[in-house]
Amino acid sequence: MKAVGARLPRYDGVAHVTGRTTYVDDVRVPGTLSVKALRSPHHHAGITRLDTQKAEAIPGVYAIVTHADVPKNVYGHLEALGIPADEPLLAEDDVRYKGQPIAAVAAVDDDTAREAVEAIEIEYEERPSFFDVRKALDDDWPTIHQWGAVYPHFGPYNHRRVRKGDVERAFDQADTIVEGVYRPQAIEHCPIEPQTALVVPEANGRLTIHSCTQAMYFSMGVVAAHLEWPLNKLKFVGGTVGGGFGGKVDTATETICALLAIKSKRPVKWRWTREEEFLASSTRAPWHIEIADAVTSDGWILGRRTLTLHDSGAYARFSPYGLTKHAFHHTGAYTIPNVHFDGFVIFTNRVPTTAMRGFGVTSVSFAVETHMNRIAEVLGIDPLQIRLKNANRIGDTTANRVVLKDPSTVPVVLAAADRVGYDLPPEYRSMTSERRTGDLLPEHLAGQLGSEDGGDG
Amino acid sequence: MRFTVNGMEHDVKSPPLASLLHELREELHVTSPKAGCEQGGCGACTVFVDGEPRRACLLPLAAVDGATITTVEGLGTPDELSPVQAAFEQHYAAQCGFCTAGFLIAATALVQRQPDASRDDVLEALSGHVCRCTGYVKIVSAVEAALRGDAQPEEVEPSFEPEEAEVLIPGSPA
Repeated sequence: MKAVGARLPRYDGVAHVTGRTTYVDDVRVPGTLSVKALRSPHHHAGITRLDTQKAEAIPGVYAIVTHADVPKNVYGHLEALGIPADEPLLAEDDVRYKGQPIAAVAAVDDDTAREAVEAIEIEYEERPSFFDVRKALDDDWPTIHQWGAVYPHFGPYNHRRVRKGDVERAFDQADTIVEGVYRPQAIEHCPIEPQTALVVPEANGRLTIHSCTQAMYFSMGVVAAHLEWPLNKLKFVGGTVGGGFGGKVDTATETICALLAIKSKRPVKWRWTREEEFLASSTRAPWHIEIADAVTSDGWILGRRTLTLHDSGAYARFSPYGLTKHAFHHTGAYTIPNVHFDGFVIFTNRVPTTAMRGFGVTSVSFAVETHMNRIAEVLGIDPLQIRLKNANRIGDTTANRVVLKDPSTVPVVLAAADRVGYDLPPEYRSMTSERRTGDLLPEHLAGQLGSEDGGDG
Repeated sequence: MRFTVNGMEHDVKSPPLASLLHELREELHVTSPKAGCEQGGCGACTVFVDGEPRRACLLPLAAVDGATITTVEGLGTPDELSPVQAAFEQHYAAQCGFCTAGFLIAATALVQRQPDASRDDVLEALSGHVCRCTGYVKIVSAVEAALRGDAQPEEVEPSFEPEEAEVLIPGSPA
């Protein structure tokens, strides 16, 4: 532990400040081809014709790949977690978001690759597009996804559920119902290094893949799955990421470059433009979160109903996992004994949404903490006092039936209050995380207490 | 056309409307200037052109004929960091490092021409540069340290003497 608290130089600090850190785009391999992609100009359309012959005939074009070149085109990023495959690497019959890749060209330089993309003959049949998740369950919502309007694979349900206690009774007993709707919006990761891959075919039949991925073995698995190759034919070189923030968990460029390298038998590099980053890279998801709390006039939260609509964009990608994390955190740092949570992953014509710094959790934390302030305002109670009162304590059982052994809500709130000089009455200032007794153990919280050894009470 | 890059003369064979960034990265393999947006927005390609910080992605080669160009590779070496490089290293101003070269050029320009710059001057000098990792605080601290002249490369040594850590949250492991 001697390094904890010590001031240490970064292992890559000197390389960073002397310009010597080698990012993917800084790797130089002679004879490397440039890659450009044909992307959907429409939010939603059928593809009625796709012909690459004229483009292939352009001098300087070495390879073009479409869905027909991908051994396993449809793959799911989280199949290992039981989330089935739904997304094609390259679009086949339809496109479901603007910027979706349909074909990719490897050519002698950027200009030739761009010319070839423009020479690909394609015809679309435009379809209505939808973006407002609140209308997803309406009758006129168009069929975007093969699974329907919502992701259907949460066990036997088409939504993530959390049920605990007796919510009906809590709402009957409440002095007031406090409702709120919270809509945290999409955020583009916008790393300064765009998505970039360089794939080099080696003499021994393997591929060396220079990748900016945040998740080397994960990306290796994705490429191997699409190619239907064993892992030992892929050598990933990476770990130097020019900003990721979750967006480079998606395997955006490696697989398509691998296919082009195999087909052209040459090294290929694809660096997205900033326009492509904003158009076609995945984002943090937008959410629609409705909360209704049954509260007493002295500031106890007896019960909570939550409805969450998670905009997944055109495919599932990581969204069902994000919603599960969201569900897990939907009572925040507070103990609410009676809950009813329904969360839906909705398919829209947005670019698919993905990981970004605590995805799923930050959205619900924003909603819950804003809602705590709203309850305080409605009841005319101090917002920190209402947090301390309902805070998780040792022995409390969460909505997911975890009995808490070391909750940190009380000391964190008190430390925050202290840092900003916030005035709290002595009975609040002296609070600890210790097991509930006396005034902190009202009738509605008695039944939820777990046993001392962490077992369910 | 010809120009000097980090002290070496270079004959230009690319078309006159190709960008300076293309020439540096793809022809000369000087890779510290980065192609972050290629539209003048992010600042990651900034280099010195005749002593002025300029966006290499927006400069056609015809506009830099005869110029003297300095990139981060020309500021200092790992053994002999420039004061601004040392300050960035010491103050952890580079996180992923991708935007760092541009910030270093902008900061070096400020330190050279306005050694008495205020914090507001620092913010103004860096305002054309985007960093998505640091939140800018450490970068601004580094530039202020460089202006004060108190960042010395030899101070960057491993230290296993723990500093006194303030306990913010009672009962936490810290």
